[in-house]
Parts: sequence; structure tokens; C-alpha cells
Amino acid sequence: MSELINLSLTDQIIGLADKSFSSKEITDAYLDEINNKKILNCFISVFEEESKEKALLADKNIANNKARPLEGIPIAHKDIFCIEDKKTTCGSKMLSNFISPYSSEVFTKLDSVGAITIGKTNMDEFAMGSSNETSFYGNVLNPINEKFSPGGSSGGSAAAVRANLCSFATATDTGGSIRQPASFCGVTGIKPTYGRVSRWGMIAFASSLDQAGVVTKNAQDAALALKYISGFDQKDSTSLNEEVKDFQKEVNLNQEHVIGVPKDLIENMKNNQVRDSFNEAISVLEKDGAKIEEINLPHIEYSLPAYYVIAPAECSANLARYDGIRFGHRSDDVSSLEELYVNSRTEGFGREVKNRIFIGTFCLSAGYYDAFYNKALKIRNLIKGDFDEAFRKVSAIAMPTCSSSSFELGSISDPVEMYEQDIYTIPANLAGLPALSIPSGKVDNMPVGLQLIGNYLEEGKILNLANKFQKLTDFHEFK
Amino acid sequence: MKITKQDLKNISLLSKIKIDDETSSSLVQDLESILTMVNKMEELDTSKVNPLIHPIENTQTLREDKEKKDIKRDKLQELSKEKDSGFYITPKVIE
Repeated sequence: MSELINLSLTDQIIGLADKSFSSKEITDAYLDEINNKKILNCFISVFEEESKEKALLADKNIANNKARPLEGIPIAHKDIFCIEDKKTTCGSKMLSNFISPYSSEVFTKLDSVGAITIGKTNMDEFAMGSSNETSFYGNVLNPINEKFSPGGSSGGSAAAVRANLCSFATATDTGGSIRQPASFCGVTGIKPTYGRVSRWGMIAFASSLDQAGVVTKNAQDAALALKYISGFDQKDSTSLNEEVKDFQKEVNLNQEHVIGVPKDLIENMKNNQVRDSFNEAISVLEKDGAKIEEINLPHIEYSLPAYYVIAPAECSANLARYDGIRFGHRSDDVSSLEELYVNSRTEGFGREVKNRIFIGTFCLSAGYYDAFYNKALKIRNLIKGDFDEAFRKVSAIAMPTCSSSSFELGSISDPVEMYEQDIYTIPANLAGLPALSIPSGKVDNMPVGLQLIGNYLEEGKILNLANKFQKLTDFHEFK
Repeated sequence: MKITKQDLKNISLLSKIKIDDETSSSLVQDLESILTMVNKMEELDTSKVNPLIHPIENTQTLREDKEKKDIKRDKLQELSKEKDSGFYITPKVIE
């Protein structure tokens, strides 16, 4: 096995620039490793020949001093990002035949700075799931212990980084889909501020919550990777026209931090080991000079119920486009237009996606709209208000990423128990705040994550804090 | 919260997804358990709170009203299983 695959993204860029190794060498090494670790099921598609060709071109650019910032770096995209002329399945049978006619902005940006797309990662169907078990293409295995879940929905991306199948993978987060798998796989994952990264060409689940981000080995790499996908995009009407700071620079600044810890939430945690691990992580940062402040987020316990109205409501509207006519699965067994709709959708969607469409449809139907959807939107406002209040006196908020470490595949069948996986990650999505997860310890021999939530557009601050933590600890190192 | 047979029928009709007899009982169980969790929202008095539809206000930027050809028609139609001369084909809707 080549040592090149163990390197961080930052070290790979340095090594390529000083010609310690070539893009061909890294690309071949990753392709070999992807082949060796097929059992993990991290990828839905792998672009072997094309990656090899692009690596040769990258090496030429490097030799001619024409290297772009990510020239020759093999990366993976979650299979939710459309790439022109490539299959984009979103983990669903519905899109098993979908060859995208255009590319997502995230792909285009990374492609334009020289990154090589080595493959597309497995995920929960339409990003709905917290264990990767809802994927039509089979679940991903956690590389640390193959009996365990890698988390979801970006489980393929998190597991691929953890298994050294790439040093950087894109991902998306609607209620925790970057941070929870990052926590379960012991890697670093960040969901930036809503609107920071264009959603153009990113298959929609719940449009007011969906946000693209990255999974990497550490905070330095995350800052670097995030820089290249962020920025205003006219094609996305909710894209933020705000300056993108140089996160890579900011991650290394000597910043002072005031960290808010929601005391009630931590005290009420059921899992003592996760709580102890969290408290230890906070004391590491406190000893390093961070100021710790107790804060209150009085409405945070209502995040889960509000989310499970808003997300399914938006999902039921977004997924109405899959009608069997223009693209996606079309049933062969039809004799009327109605049957074409119904049979195509019934055959194309899996159980969890159907559950969410049903819940969303129910909550939006006449007689229930006010009691469910409108109520949830009002609670969303209260939760945003809690964060606004807290950020008057703190620069970051810390809490565990998840209430437990990873669980065995197949061990959770109750949907609500599965939804509770995202109990600490959902609030940041409802408020649209940036949030990340970094490895901060182990519980039952599996990693747990520390979640840092920042104020709007302050990704740099939480990355800076995460980097400080990683300089003081070694939980992020793969051993 | 109870989901009635009529509720299931309505949901199936509106969402254009079939609910067969085999899965309907486990589906009712799932939906009832999700809605029971969701009902916790009732504990809060929100009569004086405005709904927040979107986390970030003042987005929705408009672009110039110029024709763009980001996606090619032919390429899009290639994705359809049944098409003819630039049209999508569906089963007959008028007898």
C-alpha cells in the first residue's frame, strides 16, 4: 500500500508542488485502494480510466508551472451532485438510469481548480437517513469496524476519507448528514452557513435546510477545501452574495474564543460516556485559553419535532418532480397517465423516502397545515432567536455531535429512534448556521465528535477553534 | 395521534404513491410514532410568534432577464424513456 494515501490534503498539495510525487502516483494508489476496499461499498461509481488520464494531464500542468490550486488531487463527490454525462443516482432506484445533462456548481468549481473526480460516493436515498441503510445500492460499512454504521446520509463520503480512499470528499447536510457520519467515522466535516455554497445541481431534499460542505481528515484541510466550493452563484436564488474569506489563512490565526456551552442540554444527556468525553474536550480548549460561558437554548428540544415537519413537507414538494415522464424510473406496467405517475413513484422510491413524503403530504394537507407546518415554522423562529441571543455573548457554541457513538448496522428499526440521531445537529440547519464536527474521543471503542456551531458567515472562527483542538489532541489521527 | 384508513387513502392519493395492504399496518405504526413525536410542538404557545420560512432573509436575488442555454433540450429529452419528435409520450389522457 502506498503511503501517499495516508497523507492529508494539505500535504498532498505540498508534495505535488515540490514534485516529491506525481498526481499519477496518488491517483493510482487511491484507485488500487478503492479496489482493495470494495467491501466497504463507499462508492456508487468509480471513474478509473478518466481519472488516470486527468492525472497525466495534471502532471503536465505541474511540470509546465501551470498548476491550479487543487491540480491533480483526487477527490470524491457525494452522488447527490450532478456531473454532466455521469450517472447521478442520489442513492435511489428512481435515478438509477439518470445521466445528468449538466453539472453542479460544486463540481464545476472544483473541476476548474484542477481536482480530479475519482468517483461518486454512496449515500442514504435522497439523503434521507442517518445510517446509510436506506441506499438502494446497499449500505456502506464503517471502516473502523465493519459491523457498524458509518452514519448518514453522507456515509460514503465520511467512510471514504476514513478508509484513505480520498483525502477530501464533498457532502451535504440537511439535518446532520455531514456532521453525524463525520462523528461516526472519526473524520472532520463542516456544513457552512446556509447559502454559502451554491445548491445548483445538488439534488434537492429540503431546500431551506440543504447545504453542501466537505469531509476531510482535519480542520486545516476542511478550511482549504471549503474555500474552493464557497461563493455567490447567480444560478441559486438563495446563494449569499457575501465575500468569502480565506478560511485557510483564518484557520491558523491566533484568535480568542468565547465558547458557549448549553448547560441544560449537556446535563440532560442520557449517555454519560458521551457527556464525559464532551466535558473533557471542553476542558482541553479551556486550558488553552478559551473562555467558557454557560448559555441557554430554551427551545432546542423542539428542534426535532419542528424539523420532522419542515423537512418532510419540503421533501414531499421537491420529490413531486419524479413523475416517470421526463427523467427517472418509469414503470412498464401502465395503462393510464395516473398509473404512470403512481406506479413509477411506488416502484422508484424506497420505504424511508416514502415515509417522509407521506408525513410531508399529511402535514401540508387541508386541515393540518396550520397545526403542523405553520407551527413548525414558528418554532423555527424561536430556535433561531435562541441562537441570536447566545451569539451576543459567545463566538462559538459547543455540544456533542451525536448522543452516542456508531451503532451496529441493522440495530435500529424504529424510525423515531433513528431520527433522534440528529437531535444535536438539526438546530444549526433550522437556523442556517455553520457547524462542524471533529473527532474528540472514543466511546465503546468508536469515535465521537465535538460539534462547534458558529455565527452566520463565521466558518473561519469555528475552523480556527477546531484547528486549535487538533493541535492539542490526536483524536483526528487515524491509528 | 391516530392515522385512520381514510387518512391513508388521502395521503396515497395526494402523493401518488400506492399503499398496499401488506405494508399499511407497519406504515400506520411508523407514521403514528413520527406524528406523536411531532406533537411535542403543542407544548409551546406560539400565538405571538411569526413563522420563519427561510433561515436567511434578503436572499432570493434575481438575475438579469437574459436567455441562457445552460441545459440542452436534446440532452434533457434523451433521459426520457418515451419521446417522439421533441415531445414526451404518456398514455392517452383523452378517450
